[in-house]
Amino acid sequence: MKKFLNAAKNYFVDFGKAVIHGNLWTKSSLVVMGAGFWGCGQYIKGILVTAMEILFFAVTFGFSLEYIRKLGTLGTVQREETLDLTTLTKTVNDYDNSLLILLCGIIGILFLVIFVLFYISNMKRVYALELEKKADRHINTFREDLRELINGKFHITLLTLPSLGVFLINIIPILFMICIAFTNYDMDHQPPTYLFTWVGLENFKMLVTSTTTVTFGYVFIRILLWTLLWAFLATFSTYFGGILLAKFINDKKTKWKKLWRTLFVITIAIPQFITLLLVGKMFGDYGIINSLYNKAGITSFLQDIGLVSKGLSYIPFLSKPGWAHVMVVLINIWVGVPFQMLSATGILMNIPEEQMESAKIDGASEAQIFWKITMPYMLFVTGPSLITAFIANINNFNVIYLLTSDYVTSNMKFANSNAKEMDLLITWLFTLTNDYSNYKMASVIGICVFVICAVCTLISFSRMIAGNREEELQ
Amino acid sequence: MKKTLGMIMRHLFLAVLALIWLIPVVWLFVTSLSAYKGINTMHFFPTKWSMDNYAQLFFRPDTVANFPAWFKNSMLIGVFSCMISTIFVLMVAYAMSCMRFQGRKALMSFAIILGMFPGVLSMIAIYFVMKLIGLSNSLTGLVVIYSAGSGLGYLICKGFFDTIPASLRESAKLEGASELTIFTKIVIPLSKPIIVYTVINSFLSPWMDFVMAKLMIRSKDPADWTVAMGLFNLVQRTLVGNYFSVFCAGGIIVAIPISVLFVIMQRFYVEGITGGAVKG
Repeated sequence: MKKFLNAAKNYFVDFGKAVIHGNLWTKSSLVVMGAGFWGCGQYIKGILVTAMEILFFAVTFGFSLEYIRKLGTLGTVQREETLDLTTLTKTVNDYDNSLLILLCGIIGILFLVIFVLFYISNMKRVYALELEKKADRHINTFREDLRELINGKFHITLLTLPSLGVFLINIIPILFMICIAFTNYDMDHQPPTYLFTWVGLENFKMLVTSTTTVTFGYVFIRILLWTLLWAFLATFSTYFGGILLAKFINDKKTKWKKLWRTLFVITIAIPQFITLLLVGKMFGDYGIINSLYNKAGITSFLQDIGLVSKGLSYIPFLSKPGWAHVMVVLINIWVGVPFQMLSATGILMNIPEEQMESAKIDGASEAQIFWKITMPYMLFVTGPSLITAFIANINNFNVIYLLTSDYVTSNMKFANSNAKEMDLLITWLFTLTNDYSNYKMASVIGICVFVICAVCTLISFSRMIAGNREEELQ
Repeated sequence: MKKTLGMIMRHLFLAVLALIWLIPVVWLFVTSLSAYKGINTMHFFPTKWSMDNYAQLFFRPDTVANFPAWFKNSMLIGVFSCMISTIFVLMVAYAMSCMRFQGRKALMSFAIILGMFPGVLSMIAIYFVMKLIGLSNSLTGLVVIYSAGSGLGYLICKGFFDTIPASLRESAKLEGASELTIFTKIVIPLSKPIIVYTVINSFLSPWMDFVMAKLMIRSKDPADWTVAMGLFNLVQRTLVGNYFSVFCAGGIIVAIPISVLFVIMQRFYVEGITGGAVKG
């Protein structure tokens, strides 16, 4: 933290130095950014930088400034249509579109921030160039600058396009949705017909209140707990299932190893959304499993022991809470184990043989070898990916959404908040945006999911990035 | 005696497991060959066999099922976003793994933080952004969505690049090679497994995704849809009675390119994943 503050301080001090001590060319770069380069003979570079400056001002004053100014209110003029009775044409007033204001405002501000950073570093670069010229050192020609872009500064070439993409697809949308969490953008405030505006922490308060009309508090806690439980069960069941299966198949006593492996791997070839929809239909209330179970008398047996209520003629595999919770975990095992088996196979093959051999000679049993040698090794290698898998399961949209798309909740409290018992936070979020246009609550939930994922990642953060292990390995 | 019994039990156990894992796949296959169009809930195997579902899929596109168009759309999206994402991932991974520059660690932490935001959260916002730049409701827009952010998924590839000895790059540098030459002539040829892994992953994810496609493509004309969207539509309540076995046939056809890719990558898959996983 301190290091960061120091770096920030130096950043501005250097800028100040450049402004105070620079010569006329450098100083005039404050207005025309390319001037300093022209002073040192780097004409093309100077023109490019100035062109960028002009572009920025053109975009800001021609387009985004208008939106940035309205960001404070998100628009005040509501759309109104007036019908001119003599000509029978509709005229629409010059209305504000809150959505457009927010989106373009954010883009405009991002642009501004980037420009300011560029501006400051440009001053420093110009000053450094001036000093070099004074010291009579070699100054790069434009051609040499270009060459530098595939050599010493190759990372700039490499990272420019991908970062632009990330800006477009990740950063702008995320900032936008975070802002939405503090507005009242929902079904009743939809642009362009209506305006929405800032409401502060109102939505966060709503998420923890539960009254007779607002049930978000009640539903949120339940869905949060189920999400965490699901992520835990789904991660560990497929993880251990995969390792055990891989171990079982790779065992010396197993014949036709390749055949077994292939049989399990076949299931991966069919896209997940197809198998999930298919399995969902198989376990449907009037699906094939139910009719076969009915014929075999399993349904009536389950009714006798009380697992299925007497009023139903089928087993509610995916349509009643409890049953459905268990089923999605089981089906997820079916989906996930082959993948896990595959990667575990690779890792198991890399376990140093000598360790196992010597353990065997010392009289260790199979179970001891598994728990004392195989598992610690597996955990060491796959530890970080286990946490990634946990986070992926918190966000496991497909399994839940595709399996329970026909699920109808009978709990009024859930129904009031447009949720079902089976929902994860992420599917709830999706339903809220896609079916009910309740963007404000969806954004709040999204922020909660982010916080959960962030906490999980922080736990493993030090292991993933910190330490200079990457240097050691090279 | 006890030993052979153990052997039999072991293989019997595996056989039962394999059976459980294969039942849905077999059901998918046999239903795709059924003459009955809806869900056969009474029998596992169809009562009447026919190849008609495949014929309908390919040669008789109608107002709800236009498989040839879906296949073409998905193929285009898959191929283009695969090319762009692979290039992006390799570029970012090289910069992060093989180069040392100011702010590298900060960028890496930033990428991890960005990765923690749930994708579903930004989906709707992405739709608004795409609408703003006029790319919503188009295949180009989908290609942009699938590939633009792919640079963030560089970690596994970086893990692989980290294992390439730095001495190789240094000696090339001493001989006067530029970073570009090292990247294209040394690092890339050495990274075949991870490239295959990246290519296949980035081809498959748009191929299988349907949520994003459903959100982006608002067209009601099935000819504009992707395979995933179209097949998903076929099992909705109003259509499932007439199109379920067609859906199954589509599922089998979709599995073919994936299986082919899988056979190619099987050799590399394990290598690629573990190569990267060791370093996280």
